[in-house]
Amino acid sequence: MPVDRLPPPDGFRIDRSRPVGFEFEGRHYQGYAGDTIASALVAHGVWALSRSFKLHRARGPFSFAGGEASTLVQLMSEPNVQADVREIQPGMRIGGQNTIGGVASDLAAILGRLERFLPVGFYYKAFYKPRGIWNWWEKFIRRTAGLGRVDSTWTPEYFDKVYAHCDVAVIGGGVAGMAAAVACGERNLDVLLIEREPGLGGWLTYGRLLERDGGSVLSDLRDRLDELPSVRVMTNATCTGLFTDNWVSVTRGNCLYKIRAKSVVACTGGISQPAVFRNNDLPAVVSAGGVQRLIRHYGVRPGRRAVVLTAGDEGYAAALDLTERGTEVAAVVDLRSEPTAGEFARDSRAAGIRVLSGHTVREAWPQSGQWRVGGALATRVVGPNSCAAEGEAIDCDLLCVSIEDAPAGGLLAHNGATFGASANRALPHLVSLAPHVFAAGTVAGTRSVQQAVTSGQDAGESAGADVAGSLTVVKHRPTPITNELVWPVFPHPHGREFVDLDEDVTIREIHDALAEGFQDIELLKRYSTVGMGPSQGRQSAVATAAIVAAATNTSFAAVGATTSRPPVHAVRFGLLAGRSFQPVRHTPIQGWHVDAGAQMMNAGLWMRPAYYGSPDERADAIAREVLAVRHGVGLIDVSTLGAFEVRGPDAVEFLERAYTSAFRRQPVGRTRYALLTDESGVIVDDGVAARLGPDHFYVTASTSGAETLYPMLLWYQAQWQLDVDIADVTSAFGAINIAGPAAREVIEKLPGNIEFSGEACPYLALRTGQLAGVDVRVLRIGFVGELGYEIHMPWSQCRGLWEALVEVGKARGVRPFGIEAQRVLRLEKGHLIVTQDTDGLTHPHEVNLGWALSRRKPFFVGKRSIEAMMEVGLKRRLVGYQVPDRSEPLPEEGCLVVRGDEITGRVTSTAWSPVLDRAIGMAYVAPDQAVSGDQFTIKGDGGRLIVAQVVRPPFYDPKNARQEM
Amino acid sequence: MIDRRGPVDHAHREAGATFIKVSGRDIVDGFGDPDGEIAIAHRLGLADLSHLPRVGFRGPGTRQWLVLQGIQVPHDPNRADLQPDGGLAISRSWTELLLLADLYGASGACARLESMRDEAQDVGAFVLPRYDGMFWFALNGERSIACLAKLCGVDMREVAFPPGSVAQTSVARLAAVVVRLNIGVTPVFYVLGDSASAEYLWGSLIDAMREFDGRPVGLGAMRALAGEFE
Repeated sequence: MPVDRLPPPDGFRIDRSRPVGFEFEGRHYQGYAGDTIASALVAHGVWALSRSFKLHRARGPFSFAGGEASTLVQLMSEPNVQADVREIQPGMRIGGQNTIGGVASDLAAILGRLERFLPVGFYYKAFYKPRGIWNWWEKFIRRTAGLGRVDSTWTPEYFDKVYAHCDVAVIGGGVAGMAAAVACGERNLDVLLIEREPGLGGWLTYGRLLERDGGSVLSDLRDRLDELPSVRVMTNATCTGLFTDNWVSVTRGNCLYKIRAKSVVACTGGISQPAVFRNNDLPAVVSAGGVQRLIRHYGVRPGRRAVVLTAGDEGYAAALDLTERGTEVAAVVDLRSEPTAGEFARDSRAAGIRVLSGHTVREAWPQSGQWRVGGALATRVVGPNSCAAEGEAIDCDLLCVSIEDAPAGGLLAHNGATFGASANRALPHLVSLAPHVFAAGTVAGTRSVQQAVTSGQDAGESAGADVAGSLTVVKHRPTPITNELVWPVFPHPHGREFVDLDEDVTIREIHDALAEGFQDIELLKRYSTVGMGPSQGRQSAVATAAIVAAATNTSFAAVGATTSRPPVHAVRFGLLAGRSFQPVRHTPIQGWHVDAGAQMMNAGLWMRPAYYGSPDERADAIAREVLAVRHGVGLIDVSTLGAFEVRGPDAVEFLERAYTSAFRRQPVGRTRYALLTDESGVIVDDGVAARLGPDHFYVTASTSGAETLYPMLLWYQAQWQLDVDIADVTSAFGAINIAGPAAREVIEKLPGNIEFSGEACPYLALRTGQLAGVDVRVLRIGFVGELGYEIHMPWSQCRGLWEALVEVGKARGVRPFGIEAQRVLRLEKGHLIVTQDTDGLTHPHEVNLGWALSRRKPFFVGKRSIEAMMEVGLKRRLVGYQVPDRSEPLPEEGCLVVRGDEITGRVTSTAWSPVLDRAIGMAYVAPDQAVSGDQFTIKGDGGRLIVAQVVRPPFYDPKNARQEM
Repeated sequence: MIDRRGPVDHAHREAGATFIKVSGRDIVDGFGDPDGEIAIAHRLGLADLSHLPRVGFRGPGTRQWLVLQGIQVPHDPNRADLQPDGGLAISRSWTELLLLADLYGASGACARLESMRDEAQDVGAFVLPRYDGMFWFALNGERSIACLAKLCGVDMREVAFPPGSVAQTSVARLAAVVVRLNIGVTPVFYVLGDSASAEYLWGSLIDAMREFDGRPVGLGAMRALAGEFE
């Protein structure tokens, strides 16, 4: 096929000095830099780019503006690429979609012959009988349908996200958008002009007006924009959504822009609409705008002999453009019986172009052996949606269609704009706009260049006044509607008049759906799938409304429109997923842990050592660490604990109200267990309150609870208005717990001014002072049940002190231990972990923490609820258990506790105790199962029933002699 | 004596940083190319100032007490005022201020005020240990606004966020305090946040800077930048 290029000045977007080679369906082609895939292929006479989704009919571009699914092609690693928008690149390998064997010889094309077996709504009627048949159908459907192929070997690219701000975002860089941007820019407003195409100007860059008065308008607007430094222009940028408070999402290349604008002017233009007649889906049935884009943007002659079907003067403009470039226009078929005397119609007649007034194209047919239109039957229109059966058959290789453009109002609709329809007019028109949003140009109903310029200026000035805070902003001046075109929908006895090309929906299927009772436009959409394809009804909604209105004898206004939802254009998944942020928190000792071979694990946002050693020896590593703490000395990094400073004259009062425990009589220099419940009496966290002074407490919280606890405490303070300050100092203090019978011996090796003897620093004592030159707060507490000191110190010195302890502890075999060993150690002591051994309903009495509730206090958060629950009685109890039979497998966390068919509880913690040499754990059981020594049944892995025995914790060192030594 | 260590120190060492002592702490001076780093700081540089002194105060008596101590307290929240000694006072709310030292750590104001914690607490000004609790990064250069736009939803352009502005916001989904300064005409953004997430944000900033050929710089480049306009 020879290359059909037109000489300059046509083709201003291509660079003829830069040829670009590419492949389509295995054949090599050549285009030019600036060509789209579609323009380069059409230049070679290749119009069929893909197959349709359902009937596998050959399809090609219609608008050349990225409006339809017919242009979706497959690149090597990217499906669903719009061939009429994506620029060709050297070496690009392109294939059609929805084919088995290629576009030209698609084996699945046989589906086109089975059309009568695929009636409307067949999705809902088929595939489920006989039982189980879906499994077969699913494989078949996935193989034959689907939009493109995902390449799972694809190497991810870098996708970015950027925030941007402006006073006014003008969406659409056509003449109206340019005028709006100029109007705003001349008021010194910060303007972002967003244009989807490579250049500004919209249809003035390809329409015939370019050579008449349009040229001066465009150059004038360009010049004025160039002189306005406050106007930023984004080309090749697609606006995909307009959300609340003018949050504008824009994609450009591999970047998603999140734009906040004080005001928005939408100049999104119009959408070329197809006519509905038999075989209107053939490749080379193309919009007038598409023809003119091919000519002026890409220098491609679209055909040799054309028929133009029109309902307005724009079709004549296309006919003139074609004629002047050597394409024979066999006829202009004008739907109007008395065409309005437009200037292009007059010029066409003067140029000798034949006009068939009051006619339509009844059907088209393909060229023999080609996937391209070969001729059209022009017949007289005899009434609404009706034309004569006989007419004139005209050979052609191009059928150009020029019906009115529908307003591209999707973006505006996202943001709350309303569109209406008049009684007899199929096309919707803009009725109202959301606050701080304005519209201009075709989307607002203008029909001429001057109207577009004026509406753009008006909208720009209104947006400027809106930014300035004016309360008297003119929102939208409706353009008078003059044309009452009866929409061109012409049923054919043999069908195949496609209303929706994405889903292969024909007129008959719309009628059938209506006959089945789906007369509401939203239900009709879902049942027939009209408008549900990738084009989202852009080119089918108007025709559907026309068919429904005619069939139900109702007005277009009564038919209404379906809901438009974002995104208004396709968005690549990479843009949505790319460069996400997931904050991570590291303790000051993180680097040491990693160097020491720790297996790190997530604990909320924190990274913590699970254990030190190879994953292959996980159990042994944990056991080693447990035994080191029980028999020698271990170190654990507890910098992740929440830490709050509570200071001020009302510090005690605040803690008394917020926590369940009593603090008023707590001596300075002592620590106390601090349990927190919410208003419903449910345990939300626990920690330790260390009294540093009469009005000063240092309160710790659990690793997982700290982040939510701090706002909760501030919320209480906001209500109580006490004279107290609560500061989250979690990241200001690092903390190390040194534990084990040799802990004192090791810590005393460091120089300092704190006495660590049992007498000077007894269990639950708080001591402050210096250790190895570091200001420390030492809490003598024993979560793991051994002699231990929890040392809190400035974050920046924590690693240094850790290393010092490791160094002086070498002689005693000090070993770091991770949270897995800590879980075993605390379980041996029967200490619960909030959120692991509690849930969203646990109150203190259920988990044997009644002792932590102060009965003397008149109030603490949750007190009334706990008392009310206790009047009802306990419904479950948390108990310690052991598995007497050592041959039984270890029950897993979450395993159910059962009694016959009844579920009475669940396992919350489980571990093999290397010290006790048996499986131990904690579980919720029914209150009558909580008697020490009684047995209950755990339903283990695979349904195995495991007998467990209630043991009153602690399992280890029941008299707590070791931790209090 | 146990040294104080910054949350990103190891990354600096791996990048070949050289250190100098400031207020007794090792701080990154540069990465071996002093002249090149000044050019980078003009374009897009990221400096870790976490070892420079800083301290916070909060409570109903904070403003009055700090004024008595000679601090020029910004009139409104979310404003930052340069101090005569080169430091910076950042007003986070009507009752909370954050004080940053100058680039030479010379004034000693932070240490002096922190040592008066008991006196301050008596009048309702509670000290906040911001040296340990918050990292302190400085993003410098003409491309810093574009770089921050990849991480933060606040409009950082000078017209909307002039020098002295403070935003308590989210940077790469991390709660942060962003302060806008100008050194001459070069925009400088101080970014302060939770020490535990310093490595995360340092990495996120470095990643965002690549597009603009931005790189880490040391205190030397920052001081040179400031020296050009003294």
